[in-house]
Amino acid sequence: MKIETCMKRNVVFIPFDTTIGDAAQMMVKRHIGILPVVDENNKPVGVVSMRDLLTLELPDFIELIEDLDFVHDFGAVETTRPGKKKLSEPVSTIMQPVKAIEEDGGLLRGYALMIQNDLYDLPVINKSGKLVGVVSRVDIGTTLLSNWSTVVQK
Amino acid sequence: MTTAAIISTAVFLISLGLIFSEKLHRTIIGFAGAVLMVGVGRWLGFYSESQAIAAIDFETIGLLAGMMILVSLLEPTGFFQFLAVWAGRLSKGRPVYLLVMLGSVTTIISMFLDNVTTVVMIAPVTILICEVLGINPMPYLIAEALLSDTGGAATLIGDPPNILIGSAAGLTFMDFILKSLPIVLVSWLTALLLLRILFRRELSTRPKNIKAILKLNPQEALDDGVTARRVLIVLGVAILFFFFSHYLAVSPAFIAIAAAAAAMIWVRPNVKDTLMRIEWSVLIFFAGLFVIVGGLNAAGVFDVLVQALAGLHIEQPLLFSILLIWVVAGLSAIVDNVPITIAMIPVIQGLGSTGMNITPLWWALVFGAGFGGNGTIIGSSANIIVACLSEKTRTPITTRLWSKSGLPVMLATCTVASILFAITYSWLSR
Repeated sequence: MKIETCMKRNVVFIPFDTTIGDAAQMMVKRHIGILPVVDENNKPVGVVSMRDLLTLELPDFIELIEDLDFVHDFGAVETTRPGKKKLSEPVSTIMQPVKAIEEDGGLLRGYALMIQNDLYDLPVINKSGKLVGVVSRVDIGTTLLSNWSTVVQK
Repeated sequence: MTTAAIISTAVFLISLGLIFSEKLHRTIIGFAGAVLMVGVGRWLGFYSESQAIAAIDFETIGLLAGMMILVSLLEPTGFFQFLAVWAGRLSKGRPVYLLVMLGSVTTIISMFLDNVTTVVMIAPVTILICEVLGINPMPYLIAEALLSDTGGAATLIGDPPNILIGSAAGLTFMDFILKSLPIVLVSWLTALLLLRILFRRELSTRPKNIKAILKLNPQEALDDGVTARRVLIVLGVAILFFFFSHYLAVSPAFIAIAAAAAAMIWVRPNVKDTLMRIEWSVLIFFAGLFVIVGGLNAAGVFDVLVQALAGLHIEQPLLFSILLIWVVAGLSAIVDNVPITIAMIPVIQGLGSTGMNITPLWWALVFGAGFGGNGTIIGSSANIIVACLSEKTRTPITTRLWSKSGLPVMLATCTVASILFAITYSWLSR
């Protein structure tokens, strides 16, 4: 089976000069966790994930201390917000390099890409490299699992 | 000067210059420099392999290695995090108290254990405490590095230069407690007071969330209390032995190695992991420097130097000693204080052979090497570590910032040490 059978086609994306603040509001409005960033030719140049945005709010210490069990209250950190200056920077300053899959790619290949790169969504591109959809772990996973019922029936 | 003296001096100065430039890791420089020194020594016939091996002070290496094993057993237990959280809670979130508590804890531990490990372990928890409180961690990180470096000068095992000096001059743990500790204590308090004044603005901001710090649980930060207790008991016994090593006629290195062996028998750690945590790069750096300086010695460089110094007719030994504090401090601020100390030791020994009382000079070397590192961001390993950690935060420590806090602290502690040195000169000369 191919990725195109289970991907979402009405994909929400943003141009690379969108500000960080606008990208965040786009995620809120559409209730999504990933925004492919595209150039003038509709080709993906990066990806902004919810994680990239929320890292701006997360405290520095989570990178430095392995086991946070003893911290029961994050205190002042709970109410910190990224500054106005940061929010008006373009998303290109925080976006991650794009890891995309071709629409005719295999499902297991897609899933393996996600696991190896610790991703939950992949932008899908066509032969000419243009963004045509987005596929999530759940999209791929449920499609794969649905095949299992035929195994049981045999 | 002979060709051997000139070439060996060149090898030494090039190594020192490379360490200063930070173009290469200092361990590689020490290692390659040692090889080069033995190479030219063999070629010109002034230095042999066996002389090079004999130049390595295994007393120093043994003491360092033994203490490193103890630290590597203590590191994964969460003991350091426990202390930092405990200190943070005790301050009840009041900035000045927090500075004093974290600074004191870091200093006291690093008087007995490697201060690089101490800072590596305590600085992340410091950042955590400050972020939870909603205050800037920068003054606390700088204070931890400066205070632990200053306090380290107090004991024989507090920092590497002291181990070197103690081994070369035959100074005991007790000598350090009686002669160095009082002066260091006053200097340390001066440093603390100065930091309080320099960071008065940062320390007057009221934390946004004081309650959160009281919810930090030190017990939960301690991952392996049983191991921590065992290692601390062994460490405590070892420190007792250090106190009486003079009467027992055992070397500090033997005590440290024996303590490491006892702790490993009691804890039964994963040997591979434990030995991996030993800072081999430091040990190899030391061994390399010993070989390099041994080459200088064999080439007769120090004889030339001492003859020149003897010609000076040092009529004011007190002034000379105080000058030594400042020269060593200045050099230690720009280069690592370990090579400076290793190179100064034969010079002082040489002065001793001219009939001068060199006992006060050893103490001058202790204070100069101990306090000099505070002056610049590259002056000590602890400084570099807090600066690197702070780069992962929103308020990185810059070189400029360091010169506004570290340099005044270095000047103040050296001034205080010089004054106290002059007052207690006759006591230090014994």
